[in-house]
Amino acid sequence: MEDFLDKLQKTRAGFFSRKRLVFFLDLIAIFSILYAIFTIVNLDYLLSKSSIPSSIPINIIPPAIAIIIALITSTLLHKKDKKTNVIRLIENKYPELKERLSTAYDNRDESNIIVDSLKTFVSESMTSVSPSMLLSKGKIISKIMITIIFLAGMAYISLNPQGIQIPQNTLDNMTKTFTGEEQNNTGLTDLTGIPVNVDNSGAKGSGDIFGKPKIASIEGKNIDLTLYTGDNTGTTISDYNPTNNQFIKSAAFPVDVIGSNVSDGGYSMLMAKSETEKQLINQYAVERSKI
Amino acid sequence: MSNETYSSSTRIFKDLLDEIGKVVVGQHEAVEQMMIAILCNSHALVESNPGLAKTLTISTISKALDLKFNRIQCTPDLMPSDITGTYIIEDIGGKKQYRFEPGPVFANIVLADEINRASPKTQSAMLEAMQEKQVTVGNKTYLLDKPFFILATQNPIEMEGTYPLPEAQLDRFLLKILMDYPTFEDENEIVNRYTKNITPSVRSVVSKAEVLELQRLTRDVPIAEDIKIRAIKIVEATRAKNENIEYGASPRASIGIILAAKARALMKGRNYVSKEDIDAMAYPVLRHRVILTFESERKGMTTDQVIADILKNVK
Repeated sequence: MEDFLDKLQKTRAGFFSRKRLVFFLDLIAIFSILYAIFTIVNLDYLLSKSSIPSSIPINIIPPAIAIIIALITSTLLHKKDKKTNVIRLIENKYPELKERLSTAYDNRDESNIIVDSLKTFVSESMTSVSPSMLLSKGKIISKIMITIIFLAGMAYISLNPQGIQIPQNTLDNMTKTFTGEEQNNTGLTDLTGIPVNVDNSGAKGSGDIFGKPKIASIEGKNIDLTLYTGDNTGTTISDYNPTNNQFIKSAAFPVDVIGSNVSDGGYSMLMAKSETEKQLINQYAVERSKI
Repeated sequence: MSNETYSSSTRIFKDLLDEIGKVVVGQHEAVEQMMIAILCNSHALVESNPGLAKTLTISTISKALDLKFNRIQCTPDLMPSDITGTYIIEDIGGKKQYRFEPGPVFANIVLADEINRASPKTQSAMLEAMQEKQVTVGNKTYLLDKPFFILATQNPIEMEGTYPLPEAQLDRFLLKILMDYPTFEDENEIVNRYTKNITPSVRSVVSKAEVLELQRLTRDVPIAEDIKIRAIKIVEATRAKNENIEYGASPRASIGIILAAKARALMKGRNYVSKEDIDAMAYPVLRHRVILTFESERKGMTTDQVIADILKNVK
């Protein structure tokens, strides 16, 4: 009859080899998921646009990142594996060995009639112990199946990225949105939600970026309703387009600037307007303040 | 001898309990705990109301074990020499000489009935005999016979005129056994047995040598490390901050729990100590070593309730 310590050693070795297999299956599964995600998000293209030195081949970076993350994740998932108490596992699976195996193991160096009888009983009972009972075959097979599915998925995505992969121009727009870079009107969807065909005329400092009317026509007479702001205020338009931002002359408001010794912020000009214009401007200001 | 005794230990304990059961009705837990105290080569304190067959139980055990039994009824005027023995003048062939007359403590099983009625001086003499397993009279030391087991009793009522045992001396008893009133069925059986002309008798089923061998085997019962740690944690928990406990148990309690658990395992025919043994023995080992706070006593809590809480919380 095999000594229970030898049998325990074999069971422990068998259990940990199965645990290692599960570790590698998890590693492959996580790598497959990550690599598939990297392929979908076209990480190669994104990296090629970044400031990575040209000496590093871009195409090895996504799998390298995937394997590193997979390795770290798998290690974290299995970090308690080495601390697994195999004796406790055996005792839980084989009730006839409960408390007996741990007692026999803890007293393995002792010898008396009672300890010896316990060791004999444990050795006899250990013959039925199998590592497959501690980590079931079904669990390992299901893990293998899941890993194969993930691997197949990854292979399909990486070999047929068309239709799945995010287009490069979408990535460009997303990059610009995230980095806050200038956008050009390519006719694509504006991701910021700002309408493309905005009236940008007279934009800077006007406080009106969506083309609300600035010239009111009263009895055939155009009246400038622009609200002048103070210095360093107003709205900065990020999608500033110089072609649409040409200064437009207003018949109602002369462009020539009359020199003034003291700036009154346009007060004198306002005061020069008729009462009807003043009321209209006042009404406009009130209405605007409600928006 | 070891092999034979061990292989027949299960039968021995069964025969013993069956034999005791012929005389003592019910009280299985108390009988088992008394046997455990004997197997641990230690002593026990029994607390029960009068008339619950304390004397009958222990005298029956001594008969079944084929051991010499003595009973001491403790009273306030009991002197130490009344227990240990004394020198008497004897006339041998016209020549007078001192001869040591051993007291009742010179027996294998001694029942010290109502020990709390004896004076502290007498209690000390008895407790010294318990601890040292020897008696010193004058300049001479007399070894007590093996096995030596004292079962002291206390009455939880009628505390007037008593000398309660100090905590330090209580610690010398391995177990504090509680004997409760019998169930209706047991009491009916008691009435049936003891109202007839034939009084139940008991025969010896174990020899003194076998008792000593069983005591030795008790210490050979192996225990797993985690179970040993649990026993120590239980005792440690009585010393930790606990709103119900004024004073916790000493390390002697850790030894007591493990030893008593080994004896229980042997009695149950197991060759290893189970967690169940530790939990079962925690109560009789700790209940006289844990002193409750005034507040918890006021609330009507018992030491057994506090121990149950500790057992629940110790992982």
